[in-house]
Amino acid sequence: MRHFAAIALGLALIGATPGQVPEPDGLWQGPMRGYTPNTVAGGTVLDTAGLAKLLDAEKPVLIDVSLADVKPPSMAPGTPWLPLHRSIPGAVWLPGAGAGSADPQFSERFKGRIAELTGGDAGRAVVTFCHPECWGSWNAAKRLVGLGYAHVYWYPEGMEGWQADHEVAAVKADPAWAAENPPDK
Amino acid sequence: MRASLARRSVLAAGVALAALIASPMVRAAPGDDPAEREARWQDLAHAVFGDRATQPGDAVIQLDAPIRAEDAALVPMTITLAGAPDGKPITGMYLIIDDNPSPVAAHFTFGPAADPREIKLRVRINSYTNVHAIAETADGALYQTVKFVKAAGGCSAPMGMTDEEAMKGMGDMRLKFAEGAAPGKSSQATLMVRHPNFNGMQMNQVTRFYTPARYIQTISMTTGDQKVFDLASDISLASNPVIGFGLVPQGDVKVAVSDSEKGHWEQTFSGPQLSN
Repeated sequence: MRHFAAIALGLALIGATPGQVPEPDGLWQGPMRGYTPNTVAGGTVLDTAGLAKLLDAEKPVLIDVSLADVKPPSMAPGTPWLPLHRSIPGAVWLPGAGAGSADPQFSERFKGRIAELTGGDAGRAVVTFCHPECWGSWNAAKRLVGLGYAHVYWYPEGMEGWQADHEVAAVKADPAWAAENPPDK
Repeated sequence: MRASLARRSVLAAGVALAALIASPMVRAAPGDDPAEREARWQDLAHAVFGDRATQPGDAVIQLDAPIRAEDAALVPMTITLAGAPDGKPITGMYLIIDDNPSPVAAHFTFGPAADPREIKLRVRINSYTNVHAIAETADGALYQTVKFVKAAGGCSAPMGMTDEEAMKGMGDMRLKFAEGAAPGKSSQATLMVRHPNFNGMQMNQVTRFYTPARYIQTISMTTGDQKVFDLASDISLASNPVIGFGLVPQGDVKVAVSDSEKGHWEQTFSGPQLSN
């Protein structure tokens, strides 16, 4: 019943069924969790086998845009709060980098950090991911295409899809990104 | 001589290998680093128990959890307590979900009216993780068991209804005794509490804001004048908690529930009656 309700609500909100979500013109500004398109114009969609192949063939920059866990303010003092983020081994975790924000400063920070991670090589393969049914990685791929990256890959199955067949590793948020993009923002 | 020695060492290696395969750490996802998960557990154990060491306790405590959960927001856990080898009574039980951001899902402290042989509850799981159940005895000894559970996304799963709907009837409770329950006799019972147990990580799909955390922090139960249990719980408990436990009812059963927004609810239930 919960599932039906969730699906019905999702459908009512985005007016679409899974597999038939149209690409928005620009960045997605709606709820970050929900059915995503099957494509991202200018980029390539990867399934798990495709990502495994790409990882073997070349050294893409792997960008995880999952949000960081936020500690509830009401948590009783002394309660252990030890968030742990697992990701695809070798990924750089940029929490919140999939935001649809139109803030030019945010766009600049995104552009700057990606340029550093790719060594300024716009031909370098870049893969974005977060979780299944997560618009963040779609947005990040869209931004990369807009920034002129020639080999942009989007892996919509995300960490959960990878973890079903492959190793995942605990990662810390990218320090350079986290310093400029505090999670409580 | 030499041949039999060699055979014996092969046998020993085989036994060691079998032990390794049987160890729950090895049941992780392919390639998943058991050493990393063990290091995580050591950190957690230190955060929760300080310098008190936990010892392997499969004979004392067992955890039954699905290897692969259907719904990560509602993963059933059954903890069976067999009693400590030295006969010391079990006074507490911890359920720890290693990879959840707030790993201590439940801490039961049992009173004289408890009969903690089987405890059932449902939890949220964020990512493939080890789950530890730990029994504590009166002298402070800690016995542990562990299961690897494949479930992911349970912490951010929206409830599929509006927050107002989810909060309707918040604090309502029901208590059900198993068949054959009688005063003064060890009985199983199930407590149901209506509460969304919002963990602050669920995004409202209409407003696009995170639903503020509001979750049950304590459940206390007494019967007659005696404590059954105190439960300290947290955001890892599933919404609308259902808790199965054992007790020796002595008249009415009183339940008090408090949440993180200072919500407090109390209800008194009649205990089972003597039947002729």
